[in-house]
Amino acid sequence: MLASLRPRGAGWLVLPAAVLLLLFFAVPISWLLAASVSYPQLGLQNFAALYEKTIYLRVLGNTVVISGVTTFWCAIIGYPLAFTMANGSPRVRRALVFIILIPFWTSLLVRTFAWMVLLQKQGLINDLLMSAGLIDSPVALIYNRLGVYIGMVQVLLPFMIFPLYSVMVRIDKSYSQAAATLGAPPIRNFFRIYLPLSLPGVLSGASLVFISALGYYITPALLGGPADMMIAQMIEKQISQFGNWGLAGALAVVLLVGTGVSLAIVHRVLGVRAGWRRA
Amino acid sequence: MTKTIDQIAEMLRRREISRRGFLGTGAALAGASLAPSLMSGSAFAAAAPVTFVSWGGAYQDAQKACYCDPFTAKTGTPVVQDGPMNESKYRTMVESGESVWDVADVTHEFLYNGIKNNLFEKLDASKLHLDRVPQQYRTDYGVGDIVWSYNIGYSTKVFTEENHPKSWADVFDLEKFPGTRTLNADGPQAVFEVATMANGTPMDKVYEVLATPEGVKAALDKLSTIKKNVIFWDTNSQSQQLFTDGEVSCGIILNGRAYDAAQKGAAIAVEWNQNIQSIDYLVIPRGSKNVEGAHGLIDEMMVAENQAKLANMIAYAPTNPAAFSAIDEKVSRWLSTHPDNAAKGFVINATFWRDHLEGLLEQWENWKLS
Repeated sequence: MLASLRPRGAGWLVLPAAVLLLLFFAVPISWLLAASVSYPQLGLQNFAALYEKTIYLRVLGNTVVISGVTTFWCAIIGYPLAFTMANGSPRVRRALVFIILIPFWTSLLVRTFAWMVLLQKQGLINDLLMSAGLIDSPVALIYNRLGVYIGMVQVLLPFMIFPLYSVMVRIDKSYSQAAATLGAPPIRNFFRIYLPLSLPGVLSGASLVFISALGYYITPALLGGPADMMIAQMIEKQISQFGNWGLAGALAVVLLVGTGVSLAIVHRVLGVRAGWRRA
Repeated sequence: MTKTIDQIAEMLRRREISRRGFLGTGAALAGASLAPSLMSGSAFAAAAPVTFVSWGGAYQDAQKACYCDPFTAKTGTPVVQDGPMNESKYRTMVESGESVWDVADVTHEFLYNGIKNNLFEKLDASKLHLDRVPQQYRTDYGVGDIVWSYNIGYSTKVFTEENHPKSWADVFDLEKFPGTRTLNADGPQAVFEVATMANGTPMDKVYEVLATPEGVKAALDKLSTIKKNVIFWDTNSQSQQLFTDGEVSCGIILNGRAYDAAQKGAAIAVEWNQNIQSIDYLVIPRGSKNVEGAHGLIDEMMVAENQAKLANMIAYAPTNPAAFSAIDEKVSRWLSTHPDNAAKGFVINATFWRDHLEGLLEQWENWKLS
């Protein structure tokens, strides 16, 4: 059926997208990447600087740690939520999808500013905790690493939940039922049967979250302290503040390669271990 | 940097003919619009226009009303407004030898770097009344038009007029003056000076101390003592917001921002002791087509009554001390060059920062991340 709809040489259908990507993505990106080895002169001096100066290694370390911790918490919070969605009644499922999607439709910047209002010292959360008598003086929830984690986990959570959910709804319930009839207690049943079957969802959700987190900019800039700088902020600083396109290019290469490598690892793990089904 | 700029400059050169053509059309249009005023009998109406570039917004609107309009009324020279000022655009223009701008409003960093890179026409003292502006607010290449300062800002909810941080040492004293601080994180300027003064260095020795590695280390060590109690700001509006929201009790804020916050009802006041003043300068870009007219406009900007009018409009401090007699007392106490305020602080050392910025910036970034 579909084959008859397919025109000969359908390549032209992707032409608008291809031109757009080429002109406004591939060209400037290649230019920036080329700057990393040609600015201010030809050579590897920018990469040498990245390696020699501790500041860049620290920022790189920050980026990996923040992305990793964010991914971990997204999985911890997202897994039970996705489980409830996949196994609950249609009403519960609809309500949960709605709750998760609403913030998803709101701009990232607006959500980040909302967190500032909630988390600051004179903010809603500290006011509540203090009036409830749980704390005596305001807790520092923002302008530090904790603020970055809270903001990023909230923003990236849907990227964990939806891949997880799509895998969980396809898990055949008869496996768990079979294990139960054979005498497996619920906890064992979950770890031996359900968790391995849902693992592809965890991995694809984690890879989406981790890779998105690597390039995060607004959230750490607004909710973090000076020690929480991530690589995207560093790239922006190099260009807008110091006009150092070469170093910015080198940082971009590192980010691109890092993202590519994580993607490759995840694909490999997913493809081999969990038997990723390619439709 | 220079390489790309050269490339852009080369591109501009290749388009020279079309640019000339464009400018020619512009001049013809300007001539046509001037014709009625010629007929109305103004003797100066044929004067070539002066193009003025500044930072846009309320600031440039005030500059137009207080400086440019009076200049046109007196001399008949029209002033074309352009903006906002962009430093890389400026460089490209000057290096291509085709400056469209005749007078530019620039920061002290740009002035001192620009002198090194030959970006300005030298001012002709015979065409200016330089005695209107004190020596510390001008150089051979630029005359200061406004002054602003880094001040100790404090929350009037936490502290009182009698008992508030009165020196940078007080700002670093968490026991005597509890609460969260705020410092600027956009660059090492001001933060290093402030920490050095907090270490007990008198104002006139700050840059001497900071020129030594030990002085830099002492400043960073001092900063480390309060690091956990600091929220850093990157933009001026952030600093204003932190005080407005009551997130901080004291710290570095620009006088104009504190004024604006106070006008909008924030519980904030400033201490003038040990303030660090910074100057915005008027310069003539090298290659300007109307150096004569540019001198005329700059001279008009130093007139006391014009500067007073501007200060009353947007609370930027005048460089001509005579302006103060015409400034509202409610505004003048917020101004960095008010005699009482100026005497309590010092002017930032622009040549020190030109020579040390790179090194201190790296140490500052490292410190922030550690």
